[in-house]
Amino acid sequence: MPAQPDGNGLTDLQHRFAHAVLQAPLAVPSGIRHDVRPTRERRFGVYRNNVKASLAAALAARFPVVARLVGDEFFTAMALVFIERHPPHSPVLAEYGAAFANFLEGFDPAADLPYLPDIARLEWSHHVAFHSADASAADIGRLAELPPEALGSVRLGLHPAMAVIASPWPIVSVWATNTHDATPEAPAAGWTGETALVTRPHLDVLVQRLPPGTDRLVAKLAQGIALGAAAEAVSRAHDSFDLATALSTLFGAGAITTLSQGSSS
Amino acid sequence: MINRTTTAALAAAVAAAALMSSGANAQTANADKERCYGISMAGKNDCAATGNNSCAGQSKADYDAKAWKYVAKGSCATMEVTLKDGKKRMGTLAPM
Repeated sequence: MPAQPDGNGLTDLQHRFAHAVLQAPLAVPSGIRHDVRPTRERRFGVYRNNVKASLAAALAARFPVVARLVGDEFFTAMALVFIERHPPHSPVLAEYGAAFANFLEGFDPAADLPYLPDIARLEWSHHVAFHSADASAADIGRLAELPPEALGSVRLGLHPAMAVIASPWPIVSVWATNTHDATPEAPAAGWTGETALVTRPHLDVLVQRLPPGTDRLVAKLAQGIALGAAAEAVSRAHDSFDLATALSTLFGAGAITTLSQGSSS
Repeated sequence: MINRTTTAALAAAVAAAALMSSGANAQTANADKERCYGISMAGKNDCAATGNNSCAGQSKADYDAKAWKYVAKGSCATMEVTLKDGKKRMGTLAPM
Protein backbone atom coordinates (compact mmCIF):
# COMPACT_ATOMS: atom_id res chain seq x y z
CA MET A 1 0.00 0.00 0.00
CA PRO A 2 1.38 3.46 -0.82
CA ALA A 3 2.31 5.56 2.18
CA GLN A 4 -0.49 7.88 3.24
CA PRO A 5 0.45 11.52 3.45
CA ASP A 6 -1.58 11.72 6.66
CA GLY A 7 -1.03 8.34 8.37
CA ASN A 8 -2.56 9.27 11.71
CA GLY A 9 -5.59 10.77 10.07
CA LEU A 10 -6.22 7.52 8.22
CA THR A 11 -5.84 5.40 11.36
CA ASP A 12 -8.23 7.68 13.16
CA LEU A 13 -10.75 7.49 10.33
CA GLN A 14 -10.48 3.68 10.25
CA HIS A 15 -11.18 3.53 13.98
CA ARG A 16 -14.21 5.77 13.71
CA PHE A 17 -15.37 3.83 10.65
CA ALA A 18 -15.10 0.47 12.41
CA HIS A 19 -16.86 1.86 15.48
CA ALA A 20 -19.73 3.31 13.47
CA VAL A 21 -20.14 0.11 11.45
CA LEU A 22 -20.97 -1.83 14.62
CA GLN A 23 -23.02 0.82 16.40
CA ALA A 24 -26.15 1.31 14.36
CA PRO A 25 -27.35 4.58 15.90
CA LEU A 26 -24.04 6.31 15.16
CA ALA A 27 -23.88 8.58 12.16
CA VAL A 28 -21.66 7.89 9.19
CA PRO A 29 -18.24 9.22 10.27
CA SER A 30 -17.23 12.57 8.93
CA GLY A 31 -14.31 12.24 6.58
CA ILE A 32 -16.15 9.65 4.49
CA ARG A 33 -16.55 11.37 1.16
CA HIS A 34 -20.10 12.45 0.68
CA ASP A 35 -20.48 13.61 -2.88
CA VAL A 36 -24.09 12.51 -3.11
CA ARG A 37 -25.91 12.81 0.17
CA PRO A 38 -28.58 10.07 0.31
CA THR A 39 -26.35 7.29 -1.10
CA ARG A 40 -23.67 7.96 1.52
CA GLU A 41 -25.88 6.55 4.30
CA ARG A 42 -27.11 3.76 2.09
CA ARG A 43 -23.58 2.73 1.11
CA PHE A 44 -22.41 2.79 4.68
CA GLY A 45 -25.44 0.64 5.46
CA VAL A 46 -24.06 -2.02 3.14
CA TYR A 47 -20.96 -2.24 5.35
CA ARG A 48 -23.09 -2.50 8.47
CA ASN A 49 -25.20 -5.29 7.02
CA ASN A 50 -22.26 -7.27 5.71
CA VAL A 51 -20.28 -7.04 8.91
CA LYS A 52 -23.21 -7.98 11.12
CA ALA A 53 -24.47 -10.74 8.85
CA SER A 54 -21.05 -12.36 8.71
CA LEU A 55 -20.57 -12.08 12.48
CA ALA A 56 -24.02 -13.60 13.02
CA ALA A 57 -23.13 -16.42 10.61
CA ALA A 58 -19.86 -17.01 12.47
CA LEU A 59 -21.77 -17.27 15.76
CA ALA A 60 -24.29 -19.68 14.22
CA ALA A 61 -21.42 -21.87 12.99
CA ARG A 62 -19.77 -21.75 16.42
CA PHE A 63 -22.96 -22.43 18.40
CA PRO A 64 -24.88 -24.87 16.17
CA VAL A 65 -26.74 -26.56 19.05
CA VAL A 66 -27.85 -23.24 20.56
CA ALA A 67 -29.03 -22.28 17.07
CA ARG A 68 -30.90 -25.55 16.67
CA LEU A 69 -32.55 -25.22 20.08
CA VAL A 70 -33.90 -21.72 19.45
CA GLY A 71 -34.33 -21.87 15.66
CA ASP A 72 -32.48 -19.94 12.98
CA GLU A 73 -34.68 -16.85 13.01
CA PHE A 74 -34.51 -16.42 16.79
CA PHE A 75 -30.79 -17.14 16.77
CA THR A 76 -30.03 -14.47 14.17
CA ALA A 77 -32.06 -11.87 16.05
CA MET A 78 -30.32 -12.84 19.29
CA ALA A 79 -26.89 -12.78 17.60
CA LEU A 80 -27.53 -9.25 16.31
CA VAL A 81 -28.27 -8.04 19.84
CA PHE A 82 -25.08 -9.74 21.05
CA ILE A 83 -22.99 -8.20 18.26
CA GLU A 84 -24.30 -4.75 19.16
CA ARG A 85 -23.51 -5.19 22.87
CA HIS A 86 -20.29 -7.15 22.43
CA PRO A 87 -18.54 -6.06 19.25
CA PRO A 88 -15.40 -8.03 18.41
CA HIS A 89 -12.23 -6.81 20.13
CA SER A 90 -9.88 -8.88 18.03
CA PRO A 91 -9.48 -9.09 14.26
CA VAL A 92 -9.30 -12.89 14.66
CA LEU A 93 -12.79 -14.21 13.96
CA ALA A 94 -11.98 -17.49 15.71
CA GLU A 95 -11.75 -15.57 18.98
CA TYR A 96 -15.23 -14.09 18.66
CA GLY A 97 -18.03 -15.40 20.86
CA ALA A 98 -16.30 -15.94 24.22
CA ALA A 99 -18.85 -13.67 25.89
CA PHE A 100 -21.87 -15.31 24.24
CA ALA A 101 -22.70 -17.72 27.09
CA ASN A 102 -22.70 -14.96 29.71
CA PHE A 103 -24.75 -12.77 27.40
CA LEU A 104 -27.36 -15.54 27.10
CA GLU A 105 -27.77 -15.62 30.90
CA GLY A 106 -29.07 -12.08 30.83
CA PHE A 107 -31.03 -12.40 27.60
CA ASP A 108 -34.67 -12.41 28.75
CA PRO A 109 -36.32 -13.66 25.54
CA ALA A 110 -34.33 -16.91 25.93
CA ALA A 111 -35.13 -17.32 29.65
CA ASP A 112 -37.47 -20.25 28.84
CA LEU A 113 -34.37 -22.32 28.06
CA PRO A 114 -32.34 -21.96 31.27
CA TYR A 115 -29.78 -24.52 30.09
CA LEU A 116 -28.92 -22.48 26.98
CA PRO A 117 -25.94 -20.63 28.57
CA ASP A 118 -24.33 -23.92 29.65
CA ILE A 119 -24.86 -25.42 26.19
CA ALA A 120 -23.15 -22.31 24.80
CA ARG A 121 -20.26 -22.82 27.28
CA LEU A 122 -19.91 -26.41 26.08
CA GLU A 123 -19.91 -25.33 22.44
CA TRP A 124 -17.41 -22.55 23.12
CA SER A 125 -15.09 -25.05 24.90
CA HIS A 126 -15.50 -27.38 21.93
CA HIS A 127 -14.45 -24.55 19.62
CA VAL A 128 -11.51 -23.52 21.81
CA ALA A 129 -10.35 -27.15 22.14
CA PHE A 130 -10.33 -27.46 18.37
CA HIS A 131 -7.89 -24.54 18.10
CA SER A 132 -5.80 -25.37 21.18
CA ALA A 133 -2.18 -26.46 21.19
CA ASP A 134 -1.34 -30.09 20.49
CA ALA A 135 -0.02 -32.32 23.25
CA SER A 136 0.43 -36.07 23.39
CA ALA A 137 -1.88 -37.81 25.81
CA ALA A 138 -0.28 -40.07 28.44
CA ASP A 139 -1.36 -43.71 28.55
CA ILE A 140 -2.77 -45.00 31.82
CA GLY A 141 -0.28 -47.87 31.56
CA ARG A 142 2.43 -45.42 32.61
CA LEU A 143 0.59 -44.74 35.85
CA ALA A 144 -0.06 -48.45 36.45
CA GLU A 145 3.65 -49.20 36.00
CA LEU A 146 4.66 -46.93 38.89
CA PRO A 147 5.44 -48.61 42.23
CA PRO A 148 2.43 -48.29 44.62
CA GLU A 149 4.31 -46.06 47.05
CA ALA A 150 5.03 -43.57 44.24
CA LEU A 151 1.38 -43.12 43.24
CA GLY A 152 0.46 -40.77 46.08
CA SER A 153 3.01 -38.15 45.12
CA VAL A 154 2.61 -38.26 41.35
CA ARG A 155 1.38 -35.09 39.69
CA LEU A 156 -0.79 -35.37 36.60
CA GLY A 157 -0.46 -32.65 33.96
CA LEU A 158 -3.64 -31.70 32.09
CA HIS A 159 -3.98 -31.36 28.33
CA PRO A 160 -4.09 -27.70 27.14
CA ALA A 161 -7.21 -28.41 25.06
CA MET A 162 -9.13 -29.88 28.01
CA ALA A 163 -12.16 -28.18 29.53
CA VAL A 164 -14.71 -29.15 32.18
CA ILE A 165 -18.21 -27.66 32.29
CA ALA A 166 -20.37 -28.56 35.27
CA SER A 167 -24.07 -27.89 34.84
CA PRO A 168 -27.32 -28.49 36.73
CA TRP A 169 -28.76 -29.49 33.31
CA PRO A 170 -28.10 -32.58 31.16
CA ILE A 171 -25.90 -30.56 28.80
CA VAL A 172 -23.95 -33.51 27.38
CA SER A 173 -27.13 -35.39 26.46
CA VAL A 174 -28.74 -32.30 24.96
CA TRP A 175 -25.56 -31.44 23.06
CA ALA A 176 -25.04 -34.97 21.75
CA THR A 177 -28.57 -35.58 20.52
CA ASN A 178 -28.78 -32.17 18.86
CA THR A 179 -25.40 -32.73 17.22
CA HIS A 180 -25.83 -36.29 15.98
CA ASP A 181 -29.53 -36.99 15.64
CA ALA A 182 -31.95 -35.80 13.00
CA THR A 183 -34.71 -35.96 15.63
CA PRO A 184 -33.46 -34.97 19.11
CA GLU A 185 -34.11 -37.52 21.84
CA ALA A 186 -34.83 -36.89 25.50
CA PRO A 187 -31.88 -37.46 27.87
CA ALA A 188 -31.76 -41.20 28.67
CA ALA A 189 -30.89 -40.64 32.33
CA GLY A 190 -33.61 -38.05 32.82
CA TRP A 191 -33.40 -34.31 33.25
CA THR A 192 -30.51 -34.29 35.73
CA GLY A 193 -27.29 -32.32 35.89
CA GLU A 194 -24.26 -33.43 33.90
CA THR A 195 -20.62 -32.39 33.86
CA ALA A 196 -19.02 -32.28 30.44
CA LEU A 197 -15.41 -33.11 29.69
CA VAL A 198 -14.10 -31.67 26.43
CA THR A 199 -10.81 -33.01 25.11
CA ARG A 200 -8.97 -33.19 21.83
CA PRO A 201 -6.52 -36.08 22.14
CA HIS A 202 -5.84 -36.19 18.39
CA LEU A 203 -7.61 -34.27 15.65
CA ASP A 204 -11.18 -34.69 16.81
CA VAL A 205 -12.78 -32.93 19.73
CA LEU A 206 -14.39 -35.40 22.16
CA VAL A 207 -17.26 -34.60 24.49
CA GLN A 208 -18.28 -36.90 27.30
CA ARG A 209 -19.95 -37.03 30.69
CA LEU A 210 -17.69 -36.92 33.73
CA PRO A 211 -18.53 -39.32 36.57
CA PRO A 212 -19.52 -37.69 39.93
CA GLY A 213 -16.77 -35.76 41.69
CA THR A 214 -14.34 -36.08 38.81
CA ASP A 215 -14.56 -32.36 38.04
CA ARG A 216 -13.37 -31.72 41.62
CA LEU A 217 -10.43 -34.06 41.05
CA VAL A 218 -9.55 -32.21 37.84
CA ALA A 219 -9.66 -28.89 39.72
CA LYS A 220 -7.23 -30.25 42.35
CA LEU A 221 -4.91 -31.69 39.70
CA ALA A 222 -4.96 -28.35 37.87
CA GLN A 223 -3.70 -26.70 41.06
CA GLY A 224 -0.70 -29.04 40.97
CA ILE A 225 -1.90 -31.11 43.93
CA ALA A 226 -0.46 -34.64 43.94
CA LEU A 227 -2.74 -37.56 43.09
CA GLY A 228 -2.85 -38.98 46.64
CA ALA A 229 -3.91 -35.74 48.34
CA ALA A 230 -6.28 -34.80 45.51
CA ALA A 231 -8.04 -38.18 45.53
CA GLU A 232 -8.33 -38.19 49.31
CA ALA A 233 -9.86 -34.70 49.45
CA VAL A 234 -12.43 -35.50 46.76
CA SER A 235 -13.30 -38.90 48.30
CA ARG A 236 -14.00 -37.20 51.61
CA ALA A 237 -16.28 -34.59 50.04
CA HIS A 238 -18.14 -36.88 47.59
CA ASP A 239 -19.49 -40.26 48.67
CA SER A 240 -20.15 -41.37 45.11
CA PHE A 241 -16.65 -40.51 43.89
CA ASP A 242 -14.83 -43.51 42.41
CA LEU A 243 -11.15 -42.90 41.70
CA ALA A 244 -10.80 -45.84 39.30
CA THR A 245 -13.68 -44.63 37.09
CA ALA A 246 -12.40 -41.07 37.26
CA LEU A 247 -8.86 -42.00 36.20
CA SER A 248 -10.09 -44.36 33.49
CA THR A 249 -12.30 -41.59 32.06
CA LEU A 250 -9.63 -38.90 32.21
CA PHE A 251 -6.86 -41.04 30.69
CA GLY A 252 -9.26 -42.56 28.16
CA ALA A 253 -10.24 -39.10 26.94
CA GLY A 254 -6.63 -37.99 26.60
CA ALA A 255 -7.04 -35.37 29.35
CA ILE A 256 -3.71 -36.25 31.01
CA THR A 257 -0.44 -35.49 29.26
CA THR A 258 2.32 -35.74 31.84
CA LEU A 259 3.21 -37.71 34.97
CA SER A 260 5.77 -36.14 37.24
CA GLN A 261 7.08 -36.91 40.68
CA GLY A 262 7.18 -34.27 43.37
CA SER A 263 7.38 -34.29 47.13
CA SER A 264 4.00 -35.09 48.66
CA SER A 265 2.28 -32.41 50.64
CA MET B 1 0.79 -37.54 54.81
CA ILE B 2 0.00 -40.70 52.97
CA ASN B 3 -0.52 -43.79 55.07
CA ARG B 4 -0.37 -47.40 53.99
CA THR B 5 -4.14 -47.82 53.53
CA THR B 6 -4.31 -44.89 51.16
CA THR B 7 -1.37 -46.22 49.19
CA ALA B 8 -3.09 -49.58 48.86
CA ALA B 9 -6.38 -47.94 47.88
CA LEU B 10 -4.60 -45.78 45.32
CA ALA B 11 -2.79 -48.75 43.80
CA ALA B 12 -6.05 -50.70 43.62
CA ALA B 13 -7.86 -47.81 41.96
CA VAL B 14 -5.08 -47.28 39.42
CA ALA B 15 -5.00 -50.99 38.59
CA ALA B 16 -8.79 -51.05 38.20
CA ALA B 17 -8.67 -47.93 36.02
CA ALA B 18 -6.03 -49.51 33.76
CA LEU B 19 -8.23 -52.59 33.43
CA MET B 20 -11.32 -50.55 32.55
CA SER B 21 -9.36 -48.65 29.94
CA SER B 22 -7.93 -51.77 28.31
CA GLY B 23 -11.41 -53.28 27.95
CA ALA B 24 -13.80 -50.83 26.42
CA ASN B 25 -12.54 -47.54 25.14
CA ALA B 26 -13.72 -44.32 26.69
CA GLN B 27 -17.44 -43.78 26.42
CA THR B 28 -17.38 -40.54 24.54
CA ALA B 29 -20.43 -38.98 23.06
CA ASN B 30 -18.93 -39.65 19.66
CA ALA B 31 -16.70 -42.69 20.25
CA ASP B 32 -19.42 -45.11 19.20
CA LYS B 33 -20.15 -43.14 16.08
CA GLU B 34 -18.64 -43.35 12.64
CA ARG B 35 -18.14 -40.69 10.01
CA CYS B 36 -20.74 -41.06 7.32
CA TYR B 37 -20.32 -39.11 4.09
CA GLY B 38 -22.94 -37.83 1.74
CA ILE B 39 -25.95 -37.92 4.04
CA SER B 40 -25.96 -34.58 5.82
CA MET B 41 -28.29 -31.71 5.03
CA ALA B 42 -26.79 -28.31 4.27
CA GLY B 43 -25.44 -26.78 7.46
CA LYS B 44 -25.95 -29.97 9.46
CA ASN B 45 -22.64 -31.71 8.75
CA ASP B 46 -20.19 -32.46 11.56
CA CYS B 47 -17.19 -31.83 9.34
CA ALA B 48 -15.91 -32.36 5.82
CA ALA B 49 -13.02 -34.03 4.01
CA THR B 50 -12.16 -31.12 1.75
CA GLY B 51 -13.88 -28.55 -0.32
CA ASN B 52 -16.41 -25.87 0.17
CA ASN B 53 -16.56 -25.59 3.93
CA SER B 54 -14.21 -25.52 6.85
CA CYS B 55 -16.10 -27.71 9.26
CA ALA B 56 -19.09 -28.26 11.47
CA GLY B 57 -22.36 -26.93 10.21
CA GLN B 58 -20.80 -25.19 7.26
CA SER B 59 -21.76 -27.36 4.30
CA LYS B 60 -23.73 -25.38 1.76
CA ALA B 61 -25.50 -28.19 -0.09
CA ASP B 62 -27.78 -31.02 1.01
CA TYR B 63 -26.10 -34.44 0.93
CA ASP B 64 -22.70 -32.98 0.00
CA ALA B 65 -20.61 -36.04 -0.88
CA LYS B 66 -17.57 -34.64 0.95
CA ALA B 67 -19.36 -33.58 4.12
CA TRP B 68 -19.75 -36.11 6.90
CA LYS B 69 -21.89 -36.58 9.94
CA TYR B 70 -21.37 -38.79 12.95
CA VAL B 71 -23.85 -41.67 12.98
CA ALA B 72 -24.09 -44.76 15.16
CA LYS B 73 -21.37 -47.26 14.28
CA GLY B 74 -22.45 -49.72 11.63
CA SER B 75 -25.41 -47.67 10.49
CA CYS B 76 -23.74 -45.50 7.85
CA ALA B 77 -24.08 -47.86 4.88
CA THR B 78 -27.77 -48.32 5.67
CA MET B 79 -28.56 -44.60 5.53
CA GLU B 80 -30.46 -43.91 2.35
CA VAL B 81 -31.01 -40.39 1.16
CA THR B 82 -33.07 -39.13 -1.74
CA LEU B 83 -31.21 -36.59 -3.84
CA LYS B 84 -32.78 -33.58 -5.55
CA ASP B 85 -33.03 -35.45 -8.86
CA GLY B 86 -35.00 -38.22 -7.16
CA LYS B 87 -32.12 -40.73 -7.19
CA LYS B 88 -31.45 -42.66 -4.01
CA ARG B 89 -28.03 -43.13 -2.54
CA MET B 90 -26.51 -44.78 0.53
CA GLY B 91 -24.05 -43.14 2.91
CA THR B 92 -20.40 -44.15 2.60
CA LEU B 93 -17.54 -44.32 5.09
CA ALA B 94 -15.21 -42.41 2.74
CA PRO B 95 -15.76 -39.16 0.83
CA MET B 96 -17.38 -39.77 -2.56
